[in-house]
Amino acid sequence: MPVAQGSGLPEDSGRRDAQHNRARVRRQIQDALRERIGEEDIIAAGPDKRIRVPIRSDRRYRFILDRGRTAGRDGGTGPQPGTDPGEEVYEVWLDMEEVEETLFASLDLPRLKPKREVAADAEDVVFDDIEKQGPLLDKKATLRENLLRAARAGEDEVDWTRDDLRYLTWDEEPRPRTQAVAFLMMDVSGSMSGDHKRIARLFFYWTVQFLRRRYTHVDVRFIAHTTEAREVTEQEFFNRVESGGTLVSSAYECARAIQRQEYPASDWNVYVLHASDGENFYPDNERVVDLVAALMDVCSLVGYLQIAVRPPGRFAAGSGGKLAEHLEQRPVDGVVVAEVSGDRDIWPALQRFFAKEDVEEAVIRA
Amino acid sequence: VITARSTYTAADLQAIEDLCVGHARELGLGPPEILFHLVPAETVYSVACRQVPGRYSHADFGVAYERMKAAYDRGEGRIYEVIFNAEPAHAYLLEGNSFVAQTLVIAHCLGHGDVFRHNPYFGPTDKDFPARVRSAAARIDRYYARHGRRAVEDFISACQAFALHAPLDRLGRSYTPPEPEFKPLPYDELFPEEQARRWADVERAREEWRRRFPTQPERDILAFVAEHGHGLDDWQRDVISIVRAEHAYFAPQARTKVLNEGIAVWAHQHILQELELDSDAFLEAQALNAQVACPHAGDLNPYNLGIELLREIEAIARGELDGLDECERERFAAWAGTTDPRRKVIEVAHSYDDVSMLREFLTPRVCERARLRDRPAGERVTREEFERVRDALVAHHLTLGVPVVEIVAGDGRGRGELWLEHRHEGIGLDEEYAKGALRMLCGLWGKPAIVRSIAEQGGTTRPVWYIAETPDSPAQMKFSEPS
Repeated sequence: MPVAQGSGLPEDSGRRDAQHNRARVRRQIQDALRERIGEEDIIAAGPDKRIRVPIRSDRRYRFILDRGRTAGRDGGTGPQPGTDPGEEVYEVWLDMEEVEETLFASLDLPRLKPKREVAADAEDVVFDDIEKQGPLLDKKATLRENLLRAARAGEDEVDWTRDDLRYLTWDEEPRPRTQAVAFLMMDVSGSMSGDHKRIARLFFYWTVQFLRRRYTHVDVRFIAHTTEAREVTEQEFFNRVESGGTLVSSAYECARAIQRQEYPASDWNVYVLHASDGENFYPDNERVVDLVAALMDVCSLVGYLQIAVRPPGRFAAGSGGKLAEHLEQRPVDGVVVAEVSGDRDIWPALQRFFAKEDVEEAVIRA
Repeated sequence: VITARSTYTAADLQAIEDLCVGHARELGLGPPEILFHLVPAETVYSVACRQVPGRYSHADFGVAYERMKAAYDRGEGRIYEVIFNAEPAHAYLLEGNSFVAQTLVIAHCLGHGDVFRHNPYFGPTDKDFPARVRSAAARIDRYYARHGRRAVEDFISACQAFALHAPLDRLGRSYTPPEPEFKPLPYDELFPEEQARRWADVERAREEWRRRFPTQPERDILAFVAEHGHGLDDWQRDVISIVRAEHAYFAPQARTKVLNEGIAVWAHQHILQELELDSDAFLEAQALNAQVACPHAGDLNPYNLGIELLREIEAIARGELDGLDECERERFAAWAGTTDPRRKVIEVAHSYDDVSMLREFLTPRVCERARLRDRPAGERVTREEFERVRDALVAHHLTLGVPVVEIVAGDGRGRGELWLEHRHEGIGLDEEYAKGALRMLCGLWGKPAIVRSIAEQGGTTRPVWYIAETPDSPAQMKFSEPS
């Protein structure tokens, strides 16, 4: 009777089944990740970390005896395996790549436009092929497939199945590439409490992860400001602590200066994101609004995140007089203002800034 | 001499396997040919989650995979072996287990193999089963492609829920209502009109009785649905037959779980005693054995209960009868103290199932050692407690937790409705699960499905009807018969 190395069986059938199940519970995974995006230990652990997501599986219905009555019978006499279907919760382990794929699938850089040709080897994608798998659902091709299947079956109508789905997929062609620069600006002044800074860092952490994972050609520049602004390294940006007053306009001026020198609007999509508690030196606010309006001539997006943490036991001061109010009084197209008051608002804020544009529209423009 | 080490070759294992087989034969075991495959964790878990090598893919198996893999990755428990009853049998050994662990697992598998081959509940091994599993997987893949993965998976899940209702054997007879008869009353001839009316009633009842369908209540729900269901596609009938065939493969293992694991532990314990182990290897083997065969707090460990029952059989064969009452002594009188303990164990392995083994050999001593009653070690179990535990265990193993539900009408109210009856023993069906299951059954059947059971209402037990009109709308619970 032999002992053999290997079995000739596919090694990955379990993993494939697990993938099918993950597709079924994708919604639950997404919701859980969006909840947990504010947990700092996800960031702290680095890229090798795996995230556990608890999933509640569908009840597996069958005929069983009344749980309310079998459980208490005989006051716990002996074990009765099988009578208790149990709470069917299990954990799915995701590595950071899967976490980010899942989270960022619904985000996009808004108004990203192809810019002047920079490098000859740059490639762009053209959506002109139809396959069973791909990023974009092609409704027409899908309908055609369903009708064909109905015709083959000799019926007027057949139910939709996954197999009918047809997707647009791409070919790569040398084309002018879309390139983008993002200016991430953080208020590090004395009025930013520990909580404020934590939320700002988390927000920017996910922003940077999103930009780097999704776009190959994206420059990220970091600016920290108190009453004056200066460009800092990524390391400094996420770790530096400072104090002092606040002059927000300095940051926007700094971004504008760098953009003028290095990133001409004709070649670059420019994105500006700023996080602050909104406690700006009051007379400066109007100046910020003017600067933002001016920036919109060259920017695809100016995003302002106002962090309003409520200290326990105190009422919120309200946003009266804060920067967000000034920006909202003079709305400019392309300026997006979001407010967060806790970890749970980080995902909605990301979604607000990087809302996915209508897919078909994007295809037409490409 | 076997040493504790983590590196070895397939040839080393081969040598160990030859030794183990020799010792197994000396013990009286007759294991069949088993192919041992040394495979990585991914493969072991892939086989374990699908339960049968080459089986079709299903998202539910993925859930099992996530569970087992998470436990493995956290170091909270690993699968040492998966064995597949075929001809030859296949066992999958986890690469990276220590040499001692592999030795123990090989010996353990020989015990399983013996039960597969010689226990009558397994019947003759189906030689074509592996081929049929592969062919079924290929067909289901096609159905996924043609009809949508989600729909087919849901259909398979529904079939699996009701496959459990195929009877484990055909011995349990259903109650068939007798043909209605005319019962004459005194003074009948004084009231001819009254009598004629009653005759007419009986005639009508007889007519209905003759047209009853099925003629006998049917417990094999899937078989009935496949034969008489409304609007089933060919692929759906095929899936039903695939799931029923799987159930036929799993059912003997389910009904001999305790016996099977008991014999496997018994085999590895006895075989390891015969092998030469150095002291480290011996300690490791003891630790592993304890891990596998210890009682679980608040849960039943079939490995533990199985080996404790077999030890009890050995003790009785040796004539150790302390703590047994008159009735038990009498029951064992024919062989107690006069039989070779090992031969008696092998005899049990080759002729009992869990129910018969528990009924006969579960004694208060086993009850204490296997901690079936949550008591500190050493504390005595009263006879009353013991009897309650035994009856509950036997009752559970009789049906494996599946309530007896029979189809009593396949053309209910002349509208093709499926009527079922829960043959309860004082406890009704779980409302939430009954409603969920009934909707699935309604989906399989293609017309409304109704099951009659009992439920508590206001402190009294009353008959109750669960009704699923369509698979997509919530099922109802009613305290009066639908008319």
